[in-house]
Amino acid sequence: MLAIPSAVLIIMTLNFDFRFKFLDFSRPAANVNFDNGFLWNIQFNNFTDEIVSIILITGLLFISFSREKDEDERITRLRLESLLWAVLVNSILIILAIVFLYSSLFLDIMAYNICMPLILFIARFNLILFFERKRQAQP
Amino acid sequence: MKNTIRIERAVHNLTQAELAGKVNVSRQTINAIESNKYVPSTVLALKIGKVFSKPVEEIFVLEETD
Repeated sequence: MLAIPSAVLIIMTLNFDFRFKFLDFSRPAANVNFDNGFLWNIQFNNFTDEIVSIILITGLLFISFSREKDEDERITRLRLESLLWAVLVNSILIILAIVFLYSSLFLDIMAYNICMPLILFIARFNLILFFERKRQAQP
Repeated sequence: MKNTIRIERAVHNLTQAELAGKVNVSRQTINAIESNKYVPSTVLALKIGKVFSKPVEEIFVLEETD
């Protein structure tokens, strides 16, 4: 429930410069160190992307680790296997991105990559469960 | 590892779903064990043995390759 609206929002923030005005933040310049992007040093920022990514990650975590109706030891194992698979596939994707993508395109892809392992995990886990149940329903 | 769950089920006249209910797992798990796709945990193996009132060794048998 959290994940879908926030996924739409993060795509809007990343692609179309969508920002909530009330999340604008600025403070008078005093001893600002422009080389340091840490929270206490920033001078102006809009926190839409921060808030939305936190909500998105929380939502994906809820989807990932909520219990199945018939949770048992085999499903737990399937979960772990899917997580391992997702991490491996994600690493391969990152390596491919490092080799083939450069400059701002690379940074964009890495921004999407923040929640890629979770999405891959959810996709694989649910696909396997879906096909298993479909196969079971037939005979 | 081989197992004789399918035979034991026939002897006790249980369906996969009924056995699954007795040992608190999903029907897919019983099916996966019967078709040798999944090796159950020791706890689950012992529970299955209890349902059939037989020692675990008579239900689950090691193979050469194990």
